[in-house]
Amino acid sequence: MLSLHTFLLFFLSLSGLLHAKSSSGDSVLVVLEPARQADFSIFFDGLKEQGYELTFRGPKDEKPIVAEHDVPAFSHIIILASESKNFAKDITPQSLVELMSGGTNLLMALSEKQTPLSSLASEFSLILPPPGTPLVSFFPERKDPLSMIPIDAPVDSLILSPKMNPVWFSGVPHALGSNPLLVPILHAPSDSFAADTDSNADALVDAAEKGGEGLWAGSQLSVATGFQALGGARATWLGGVDMLSDKFAKKSKAGNKQFARDVAAWTFQESRVLRIDSTTHHLVNGTTPLEQYTINDQIVYTAQISHYNAKTSKWEPYSGITDMQLEFTMLDPHVRTALLPVAGSPGTYSVTFRAPDRHGVFKFVINHKRKGWTHLFSSTTVPVVPPRHDGYPRFLSAAWPYYAGAISTSVGFFVFSAAWLAGESRESKKAKKTQ
Amino acid sequence: MPPKPAASEPTSAVHTLWKAYNENTSDRLKFIDAFLVFLMLSGIVQFAYCVLVTTFPYNAFLSGFASTVGQFVLTASLRSQVNPDNKNEFKDVSPERAFADFAVGSIVLHFFVFNWLG
Amino acid sequence: MPQAIPLPSDLSPATVANTASLLRIIALSLISGAAIASRLFAVINFESIIHEFDPWFNYRATRVLASKGFYEFWNWFDPTAWYPLGRVVGGTVYPGLMATSGVIYYGLRALNLPVDIRNICVLLAPGFSALTAWATYMFTKEMKDESAGLLAAAFIGIVPGYISRSVAGSYDNEAIAIFLLMFTFFCWIKALKLGSALFGTVAAVFYFYMVAAWGGYVFITNMIPLHALVLILMGRFTSRLYVAYSSWYVIGTLASMQVPFVGFQPVSTSEHMAALGVFGLLQIVAFTQLVRSHVSSKQFQDILFVALVSAGVLGVAAFVGLTYKGTIAPWTGRFYSLWDTGYAKKYIPIIASVSEHQPTAWPSFFMDLQFLIFLFPAGVIMCFHQLRDEHVFVIIYAVMASYFAGVMVRLMLTLTPVVCVAAAVAFSSLLDTYLDAHEPEPEASATDSAASVDTGKKPKKEKAATGSALADLVAAATPTKKGDAPKFKGVYGTDTRFMIVMNAIAMLSFFVFHCTWATANAYSSPSVVLASQNQDGSQHIIDDFREAYYWLRQNTPETAVVMSWWDYGYQIAGMADRPTLVDNNTWNNTHIATVGKAMSSSEEVAYPILRKHDVDYVLVIFGGLLGYSGDDINKFLWMVRIAQGVWPEEIQEPNYFTPQGEYRVDSMASNAMKNSLMYKMSYYRFSELFGGGQAVDRVRNQQLPKEGPTLDVLDEAYTTENWIVRIYQVRKEDLLGRDLKSANAFAKGKKRKRSKPASRRRALSAAAST
Repeated sequence: MLSLHTFLLFFLSLSGLLHAKSSSGDSVLVVLEPARQADFSIFFDGLKEQGYELTFRGPKDEKPIVAEHDVPAFSHIIILASESKNFAKDITPQSLVELMSGGTNLLMALSEKQTPLSSLASEFSLILPPPGTPLVSFFPERKDPLSMIPIDAPVDSLILSPKMNPVWFSGVPHALGSNPLLVPILHAPSDSFAADTDSNADALVDAAEKGGEGLWAGSQLSVATGFQALGGARATWLGGVDMLSDKFAKKSKAGNKQFARDVAAWTFQESRVLRIDSTTHHLVNGTTPLEQYTINDQIVYTAQISHYNAKTSKWEPYSGITDMQLEFTMLDPHVRTALLPVAGSPGTYSVTFRAPDRHGVFKFVINHKRKGWTHLFSSTTVPVVPPRHDGYPRFLSAAWPYYAGAISTSVGFFVFSAAWLAGESRESKKAKKTQ
Repeated sequence: MPPKPAASEPTSAVHTLWKAYNENTSDRLKFIDAFLVFLMLSGIVQFAYCVLVTTFPYNAFLSGFASTVGQFVLTASLRSQVNPDNKNEFKDVSPERAFADFAVGSIVLHFFVFNWLG
Repeated sequence: MPQAIPLPSDLSPATVANTASLLRIIALSLISGAAIASRLFAVINFESIIHEFDPWFNYRATRVLASKGFYEFWNWFDPTAWYPLGRVVGGTVYPGLMATSGVIYYGLRALNLPVDIRNICVLLAPGFSALTAWATYMFTKEMKDESAGLLAAAFIGIVPGYISRSVAGSYDNEAIAIFLLMFTFFCWIKALKLGSALFGTVAAVFYFYMVAAWGGYVFITNMIPLHALVLILMGRFTSRLYVAYSSWYVIGTLASMQVPFVGFQPVSTSEHMAALGVFGLLQIVAFTQLVRSHVSSKQFQDILFVALVSAGVLGVAAFVGLTYKGTIAPWTGRFYSLWDTGYAKKYIPIIASVSEHQPTAWPSFFMDLQFLIFLFPAGVIMCFHQLRDEHVFVIIYAVMASYFAGVMVRLMLTLTPVVCVAAAVAFSSLLDTYLDAHEPEPEASATDSAASVDTGKKPKKEKAATGSALADLVAAATPTKKGDAPKFKGVYGTDTRFMIVMNAIAMLSFFVFHCTWATANAYSSPSVVLASQNQDGSQHIIDDFREAYYWLRQNTPETAVVMSWWDYGYQIAGMADRPTLVDNNTWNNTHIATVGKAMSSSEEVAYPILRKHDVDYVLVIFGGLLGYSGDDINKFLWMVRIAQGVWPEEIQEPNYFTPQGEYRVDSMASNAMKNSLMYKMSYYRFSELFGGGQAVDRVRNQQLPKEGPTLDVLDEAYTTENWIVRIYQVRKEDLLGRDLKSANAFAKGKKRKRSKPASRRRALSAAAST
């Protein structure tokens, strides 16, 4: 029995090693019409294999609620209910934004119909086409309907694996606004356009002549977009639910399964996750951080950065950031220098610089934002004071005439007083003698 | 004094002054005057250095210069106070008291000078 | 010799003199007691608290001195003031006041009397006012005699003009500065009279103490040289003048440059050049006198005269040239505005906006000085009669102080001592004449002076102070009469004397009543705590300020930055202990203008400013509910003016008025006014108080529109009981990177307008057109 027990444990732990887990929790809520649950079995099984606990809920169900007393109940939420026009009371666009501020990651799918998510998409700076205009493409030639399009995976994507098979897509595209927090994952093919099947192409021609304004066509449209909120939560918008369905995954030479895996890994904080473990600052010759520095001091600033390894579920020191900057700021950056990794010390970034000649309250600011990677932000406030009143160079040699003058005056004073008093006593003695 | 020709008035006037000075002042006052001249020279040297070479460090210049000027005026005050001609002006200040005042003033002056010199 | 009133004649002169000095000592101690007691109204009515605004900073600085020692205080850099610029306190403060408190604190602790530093700070001003009374006594004694001295001490002990700046709790520089002023002047006069270098040195040391204590030391720096110059021009140059002035000037100036805040100013700014010029002039004149004593040749004297005049002209030319070139700094704005009164309003709005810098209104002269103000010219004229050197000083002081007091309300304080002195001289002369017991012989024979005889009138002064009645003694000692032929003019009848003396006593009593009333009602308010009367007459305390500051102290993180108008900076720093953006020191005009711009601009413009300065909370004062007229909406135009000084193209004052030129806050208010952050913060949710009725602003007496303003970038954090202080929290950037207005609209449920994909043509056309 013992041996079986240990064998089982060993096997379970091994399986744990093989699975990549999220860095921010394992509980996932899937909002999906119960009738369609079976259509996505490959996707859900893949998630369960990775170690996520899935909870299913219909869009109009009351339970389980997403947030209890303003505390998010789940780490991640997948909303694939693209057919329902109304959701339950606790899933509203406003509450989803609240959840993101609480750290919940969202994976949402849009559809041709108007769902509550359509109004939320515009808050994420996504521009949706008019209702009822799915993405349509005549190329490549295929037997499938026009709205089922194979999209080649991009060559150098941050989120998708390299050398992926084409991804089959069916749904609506969206245009991207100018929000820098958007992370495009998959663009529409350049020969696709959004059209309802009834109208002709005149509208498209007009829009093309206007320089593309209002033109729902081309690779400027995106079908899968990620979003990194300022609090660290991630959201991904998919133009259609079918990308994750079994039907598309089972197509020959389809990259949908890998696509779904990659997108879920990125959205649920498995890949491309960084954090600042600690930061310290001290003088060049010292080791402990001071409460305040003096102007023109040589200051050393060190940051420890680690990267989440999904395979081992551990945070590992990471020295791969080559373009991190440190700003020493008082209203405007007075010093902006590169924070480079230290060779021989994994995960450590350090720089030595001279404090400016200006006194004030400064901040060490690391503000590293790259698309796809977690935003790194750290701010440490420290005063920089002028030298103490006797910290200035004193008794300079250039002032020797003044020192000589002052000392000679004092000496002269003493000599004079002595001579005067001696003279006085002499005079009084003389006066006494003459009396 | 017999009137002198106009051209040589300044030089002869100075000469006259010098003679009168030599005769009318006592030895003690002349001793004070010698100290005064020394202080004036020291001050002029410092001022010249400041103007010609550099004003940095300004506080050292000011305190050195002020020490000579201060000592100068204190000594001049002492001189006027012990001068027998001025006795009816200084009714409450005997020459001994004058010297005590002079000493106190000089010590305070030097205290401030040395505090500020560095 | 015949006497109008029978006097005891068997007293020896020594007994008389001893009794007189004993009476004088008792009188002075009672005056000190009265001075201290009449300043304690605020402590008894409210509590032992630091008043107003500026004293809070002095109190904080003194706490640092008491807890960390003098060395740390001297090098103290305050990172919580003027965030994020910080303030180098050691180099920008007059340390005299804090050093005095520190010395007293350490002294008492050395005697094993641990007195809390707050109590020392609160009670320092009354203590020093007793010393001021004594210094004024000494000063006036030099002018006339001891009886005038006692009168002057009594006057300055209770006169409202001085009390207003030295009540218990008013822990400001003037608390010790007036004592130092009078004592320095006393030492100067004594030095001049005796021709003693010792008194000159003592005057210089106290002058140094004064420089360390108050920025108004410039007054002494110019008064004493002016006096010396006038004496020279009157032909009264003596060796005594030379001794006194030279010893004072050299030691005093050298010592004053040791204060870091003053630094090298005494040799490089116009305000100090007069002293240097007179010093040089004195040397030349002294040298001339010396040479002249040796030589009698007229021609030589002529040459020397020419040399003297040319030296003077050269000196003035050099001064003008150096000022033009910039080596000598011209008059700084603060002092220049005393000469050109319109200057500050145009160029330095911050100076013009301080209420204490406004010209004095006529009623304040009577309020502060009562009957002294019409005795004052009489005293000055009596100085003209005697016209010794020291009287010249009083005359000059009186003239200059009168001018300055007319220009700025704040400078009433420098007028008060000389008014007390001159009035005391006049009053004492009056009493002398009518209390002199001697009557001339019916024959026309010269009567010689006899020993001084006491008269026994002791008028009482009653005080309605805090329940205890203190009696004051004024003993008039008649001076020795010089022998002169008695003319039969004069009033010698006892009944006439009695009437006059009773009248004088009545005037003094009225004076006491007035002073006590003015002190109790007008000058004893801590201004941190307000008091009003309920309908049944009981006192209702309005403690909103402290309520808000303590809320900040207890409910915000220690590093939370608070933005408010600069008036409240010191109080926030002192009571709430939070970093502030601007405070009463007003040393950085651009920083204040930035705060003004944030307050007077719309939310979109103000939000980046708030975020750039890491502001967490914004604090405004609003008096509309209670009728408190010192609120920020009334000060709003000054914020606009100051911001306009730095950003004239973005902020224009006329935009905040209606097209007809009125300053309105109701529905007719201009758009710039309605959208400004200050307006929104003041009236946010104000109409909810009136439950559907018309919202009325009690200060402006206008009715507000039903729809109050909305705020997107701020959240209301706290509003005090009477809505006087309102605190708002600044919202952080939106999670999704949206602008806060749209984010708010979304949170309320509004939908965004549909938009289209952007045109790609723009970049091409821009390239094609260039």
